[in-house]
Amino acid sequence: MKNKRKSIFISITQFVLLAAILVPAVTLLLWIFTERWTWPDLAPQVFSKRAIFEIAGRKKELLQILWSSILISTVVAVLSAVIGIMTARAILLYRFPGKQVVYFFTILPFMVPATVFAMGIQITFIKMGLNNRITGVIIAHLICSLPYAIRLIMDGTAAVGSRLEEQARVLGASPFKAFYKTSLPMLMPVILSAVSMSYIVSFSQYFLTLMIGGGNVKTFTILMVPYLQSGNRNIACIYSTLFLGVTLLVFGVFEWAAGRFMKHGGGEFYTSE
Amino acid sequence: MKKRISAALLAVAIAFSMTACGNNERPKEENKTASVTEEMSFETMKEEAKGTTVTFYGWGGDEKLNEWLDNTFAPAMKETYDITMERVPMDIDQVLSQLSGEIQAGEKNGSIDMIWINGENFRSAKENNMLYGPFVDKLPNFQDYVDAKSKDVTLDFAYPIEGFEAPYGKAQIVMIADTAVTPDMPKSAEDFKEFVRKYPGKVTYPALPDFTGSAFVRNIIYEICGYEQFLDMKGDKETVKAAVEPAMAYLRELNPYLWNEGKTFPDSSTTLDNMFSDGEVVLNMTYDAYGTAVKIADGAYTQTTQSFQFEKGTIGNTNFMAIAANSGNKAGAMVAINEMLSPEIQADRYDTLKVIPVLDNSKLSKEQKASFDGVDLGKGTIPQEELLSKRLPEMPAELVPIIEEIWTEEVAGK
Repeated sequence: MKNKRKSIFISITQFVLLAAILVPAVTLLLWIFTERWTWPDLAPQVFSKRAIFEIAGRKKELLQILWSSILISTVVAVLSAVIGIMTARAILLYRFPGKQVVYFFTILPFMVPATVFAMGIQITFIKMGLNNRITGVIIAHLICSLPYAIRLIMDGTAAVGSRLEEQARVLGASPFKAFYKTSLPMLMPVILSAVSMSYIVSFSQYFLTLMIGGGNVKTFTILMVPYLQSGNRNIACIYSTLFLGVTLLVFGVFEWAAGRFMKHGGGEFYTSE
Repeated sequence: MKKRISAALLAVAIAFSMTACGNNERPKEENKTASVTEEMSFETMKEEAKGTTVTFYGWGGDEKLNEWLDNTFAPAMKETYDITMERVPMDIDQVLSQLSGEIQAGEKNGSIDMIWINGENFRSAKENNMLYGPFVDKLPNFQDYVDAKSKDVTLDFAYPIEGFEAPYGKAQIVMIADTAVTPDMPKSAEDFKEFVRKYPGKVTYPALPDFTGSAFVRNIIYEICGYEQFLDMKGDKETVKAAVEPAMAYLRELNPYLWNEGKTFPDSSTTLDNMFSDGEVVLNMTYDAYGTAVKIADGAYTQTTQSFQFEKGTIGNTNFMAIAANSGNKAGAMVAINEMLSPEIQADRYDTLKVIPVLDNSKLSKEQKASFDGVDLGKGTIPQEELLSKRLPEMPAELVPIIEEIWTEEVAGK
């Protein structure tokens, strides 16, 4: 009896949670085609294809911008993961003077408001000749995404430790092989989270991209945000849906690549098959 | 130790490869324009600008305007002058902070060429030497078709333009209501109070400093205190406060009958637009005097929606195009601005986007005039003659933020 009540409670919770995710998603899709939907009607009164036409009219430009946005964000994500792994290992596994200071620096970008940071770094980047370039945008995004990547990977590195790697070294593996075959596969789940997190930080960056890219570097977010701000709901919805879809797709690819690595790369000892 | 060294080397290598690829992608057309733009004739400018790119920075939230700029204006520029137009959607605040950053860093070949601007933003940009000019007297179309003496062209929010801006379009505050829901349209501040009482919780205006909300409050101030006294008022808070107090008292009296009892206001005019099309409120207001026709055609507003003004008139202003002081392509920007002022382009904007044209009717030829007169303004709009006959001038730009401050202190939530 008690069990049954518990299971009812669980299924109600599940239902509520599911609805909390699905209802906004469905509304989003519905609003793409909605022009007017006044209270208290349950269904929209006027539909329109305005948003579809907007997207269709910009197909070529949109594909190009999406492609370059994905490229920028993927580069940022991969670089964050690489730097994140190196930083996390340096801080956790090695002893060197000023370690606490380095650790403090890694979380510094959390503390400075993005707008303030953007306006300052814009001037520095102009002087360095990095402004209005993709490289500049990537470096700026990297500064924002690194704290997340480092924090996530540090937790993983702390849990994994260096014992297995040391064992591999004792058995004669080269330093890189030891890392590649033991620590890397075990760190894979946190690396995947770090990559995804960095990707989304970079992909959704608006103000910073505007300031550093100076309008020369166009990302999907730069195209989308003016419509969100203008309250143009159906067009905002179609851009948001695209944003969601593309992000999910990219995450799927990341997951697939990690899976492949586990199977055929360094993780061969860890997969059950 | 070894590990640390190799890690450091790797970091340096990464940094190097980054700067290396950075150097490869330098902009193609560098330093094409020199500081001699001042002495150039328009013909030389056209020659100079051939094959270049002109960037146009401005608000990018209107998909019809974007579409027009990309698919009508840009191809025309490419065909006639071999200039590539690049539209960069950016809010004016961000445009100005980017511009000030570039200027601070000493960038001579700036990325911003043309800017869509007016009012307080223009004043601060001009006073901080962020704009190039005076340039309008070099544009043939400005000399031929624009009434250079009209106040719409010499003053921007009562601030002298002195040739640093060329007019782009005219805007005027109108209110919008659905005649099927509210057959009675308020014609004055007194009527408006009655109207608010009759539809409690169904009327509101955007919270200041929203552009439209701010203009609406200024319009109420004009209604109650008259507008003449403000045109040469000093930007001193005490003076302004004393002058606008009756209007603030009036607004406080409205509060209990407003949406959410005036405790909160919609954050922006776009929110109010959506609330109006959702039927949550019965009154909307906009700077885009002929936007109603477009919204009715889209289906966002009902067929019975109508725009209207106060009898004493509503505030109108002009929005402008300016050139960044450090623009890398001033000649190209001037050619583009000149083209924007051509009767054909202005007529097309009027027809497609319903933007009130900035040209002087008396300077147009018969055929040109006909192309403007032939435009069908669509449903729910006020005829241009009537609209412009009830057009009130803007207050000096410096009073605007002061009034916004007073409203926040004296009206919001009171």
